[in-house]
Amino acid sequence: MRSPWSDDRAERVLGAVASLVLITIAGMVVFVFAKAWPSFAHNGLGWFGPPGHGSVDDQLTNIFNSPADPRRYVYELGAWPLLWGTLLTTVGAVALGLAISVLAAVFLVEFAPGPIRRVMQPVVRLLAAVPSVIYGLIGILVLVPFVGNHLISLERKQSVLYVVQLSGSSLLVGVLILTVMIVPIMVAIMADALYAVPRTWTEGATALGVNRWRAMWTVSLRAARPAIIAATVLATARALGEAIMLSMVSGSQGFGPNPLDGLTFFLEPTRPLAATIVDNAEGLSVKPFGQTIYAFAAVLLVSTFFLSLGGWAAKQPLKRYGTAG
Amino acid sequence: MRTRMGMACALSGLAIALVPTAASARPAASAASKSVITLSGSTSVAPLAVKLIKTYLRKNSGKVGFKLAQGGSDIGVADVAAGRVSIGDSSRDAKPSDPGGLVFHKIARDAICLATNPANKVGNLSQGQVQDIFSGKIRDWGQVPGATVGGPIDLVVRTPASGTQDAFQKLFLSSAKVFSSAAAKASNGLVAASVKTDKQAVGYLSYAFTSGLNDTAYQGVACNLRTAKAGQYPGSRNFWMVTRGAVSRRSAVGKFIGWVQNNAQAQKIISTEWVPLR
Amino acid sequence: MAVAAAPRERAALAEPSPSWRRGDKIAVGLCWAAGLLLCALAAAIVLYMGYKGLSLLRPELLWQRPQASADQSKTGGFLDPLIGTVVLTALGTAIALPLGVATAIWLSEFARPSWLARAVESGVEVIAGTPDIVLAIFGLVLFQQSFFAFLSLTAQGNAVFGRSFLTAGAMMALVALPFVVGSTREALQAVPRHVREASYALGKTRAATIRRVLLPACRPGIATGTVLGMGRIVGDTAIVVILLGASLQFSRVDGPPVMGDLRGTGSTLTSYVYNNSPAGEGNAPEKAYAAAFVLLLVVIGLNLAAGRLGRGRAKWKS
Repeated sequence: MRSPWSDDRAERVLGAVASLVLITIAGMVVFVFAKAWPSFAHNGLGWFGPPGHGSVDDQLTNIFNSPADPRRYVYELGAWPLLWGTLLTTVGAVALGLAISVLAAVFLVEFAPGPIRRVMQPVVRLLAAVPSVIYGLIGILVLVPFVGNHLISLERKQSVLYVVQLSGSSLLVGVLILTVMIVPIMVAIMADALYAVPRTWTEGATALGVNRWRAMWTVSLRAARPAIIAATVLATARALGEAIMLSMVSGSQGFGPNPLDGLTFFLEPTRPLAATIVDNAEGLSVKPFGQTIYAFAAVLLVSTFFLSLGGWAAKQPLKRYGTAG
Repeated sequence: MRTRMGMACALSGLAIALVPTAASARPAASAASKSVITLSGSTSVAPLAVKLIKTYLRKNSGKVGFKLAQGGSDIGVADVAAGRVSIGDSSRDAKPSDPGGLVFHKIARDAICLATNPANKVGNLSQGQVQDIFSGKIRDWGQVPGATVGGPIDLVVRTPASGTQDAFQKLFLSSAKVFSSAAAKASNGLVAASVKTDKQAVGYLSYAFTSGLNDTAYQGVACNLRTAKAGQYPGSRNFWMVTRGAVSRRSAVGKFIGWVQNNAQAQKIISTEWVPLR
Repeated sequence: MAVAAAPRERAALAEPSPSWRRGDKIAVGLCWAAGLLLCALAAAIVLYMGYKGLSLLRPELLWQRPQASADQSKTGGFLDPLIGTVVLTALGTAIALPLGVATAIWLSEFARPSWLARAVESGVEVIAGTPDIVLAIFGLVLFQQSFFAFLSLTAQGNAVFGRSFLTAGAMMALVALPFVVGSTREALQAVPRHVREASYALGKTRAATIRRVLLPACRPGIATGTVLGMGRIVGDTAIVVILLGASLQFSRVDGPPVMGDLRGTGSTLTSYVYNNSPAGEGNAPEKAYAAAFVLLLVVIGLNLAAGRLGRGRAKWKS
């Protein structure tokens, strides 16, 4: 019979494994920032600003074509168009997604007739698991040609001809598909939270003469606020990190859409940070270029970190209601 | 119960591990270790490299293995100079800014064709027209005689890492610069896809990728293998396999490049869609 | 209720049904619209993929090997990517499962010193929030160091290739880890204290309690987490595109039978779909649809399995 492990040994071994996991993650964060540092050091705060002359893609080319001498590496970069594109796609998708998800979750929990609810629940969970490359495939084979052929007229193309070429790959398609990707996750989390609100609360509200919608709005949704925040944080993290689908449909050009263009603003191509990393991953072996790509990754990491921090901070005042998740 | 589950896990693990072995189904390597030749670089050379590698493996299986990546001629040159790959594929000639110590081995010639969407049957473009179109001086198909579509011109070019883009700049544009709003694609395949779907598109690509597109003659000469071989087509360029330093004819890399440059079967493969050297 | 609502209350007492203001009615209408929109989208996606998949999926695609060719009729099927998906998922799960369960047990049962426990918790959350593309480029440079040369092949010229099933599997393990840790912790915390106390009262050590009492009770939870992690691995494209070397067929590295394949490169269904879409080189949208359909079926299957396993949770009577 094997001699059983002592508690001490078990604790040490398990602690070692957990520490290994921690060291790997910490190592990754440190590694990314260490590799990214030269790019930030050379550009200072200008890293976050506009690219000056030329476009971001031109600057990336120059970095890639740096002479082999380490003292003459080119690092100049103004990544604002990429940051602006990331901001637009993420905020656009999350705002649109939040509105749709809250309403759809309330529908699922309160207003849906029985058969519809029974069908919707597994379907929503299923949609949350669909891989992003399938969304990207449908986007690039269905939506992009549709937008290109029907929404982009020759006059529209003419109007921005001097600055950028319009094809179907655009901000609009990117935001729409990203919204469709994050809505199921949010609906699933919010619906679970709404179900968890004690029925006595909503019944009490209805007994006081409040209609079903107001009962939902004033009682259940307020109680589910921590879950709504958690769902939003999760969806934003997913939107920030989405690389493959956006590189397929949002137009692979480092261009910052210009809101002053009116409706054409939605049809202009863009390329968020994660998509930029995927598109440029082959050049990682060229040192200054690799460091620039790591700088993009570092910005993503910091954003997700601040996102979690923001979510935690937003949940703090809600803790006194006792239903904080 | 636990032993049964354990057995099930072990068996399924073994099965999963053995399946790729079965799928590869290649004869076991001989006692001598197999050398692996890695190539990276030009997307124009890649289809040729695939065909050559497949034929070469049929005669030399078990002695050598290959890995092919793409990324563009500049990436191939940078990779081979840094020792990251054994051979760099390049579709542009050596540049003064290339790292030192590289040896360029010519393996074939190729024609860069101008192409438009099948709906736009432009027959011929002169050098002046090409320079004006790609630099943005002419922006509308209405100003191009022979165009059968209207509307603004959509330029499809290659990313700066591309050797085809280098060759295009040198042979077609000389001093003109590509218009800044042109859409840059990472490979010949993506250029072909863009031109195929956009009626107003015009682009340039390696001859092997032009099926299904409208081939536009350049300076009156049609773009095909015959004119390229005869030297009449002005847009011909070289394909190179680049190595770091000279290669001995006895090394795996040396044997492969020697086979590509001299073997009759290799020349036959090259002549299918490219211009052989012999 | 505010004073302004008082007349409404009196009116409501007069008639039994709750009153609906116009704004409320619009809100309910919007709820219906959102719900039906979601249903319609889901139906559209599922039906469209089903239609395209069934019309374009020929059985021989499942057992033919892919070939590189410009001619569409000669490009073969996607047997290698299919097997690649299975192998990569198995590899990632095999690494993530022991690591995740061990971490979860430590967090739940021991968690001393407390600063380390909080750090590990935050660490797992950081992985959960990290975009997979960041994990991919980290993995690429990490595994190109000569220390990790045993995980992939080394080309002539002493450059470590860094891309192989093993390296991609290692990063995939990180992707699945948060799911395993989360589900296992939840399951462990759901076991009431009195079960542990009963075990201690019978003289069993903590380690034995974990091994003989808690872990068997948590099996459904662990299984759910594992299957959720597998679903994430199956659907991940960025790590595969960057870390798996993108060779259409399996290309082995010289060596013993299994290790040679795992150190080699290949492709999975996700990278196959990506490469054959207009965004990649293959330009075969029909094959892309067929492979995407198979991928969707695999993901649906994994999801159903996760749901089924989740329902089998042990019920504890307090």
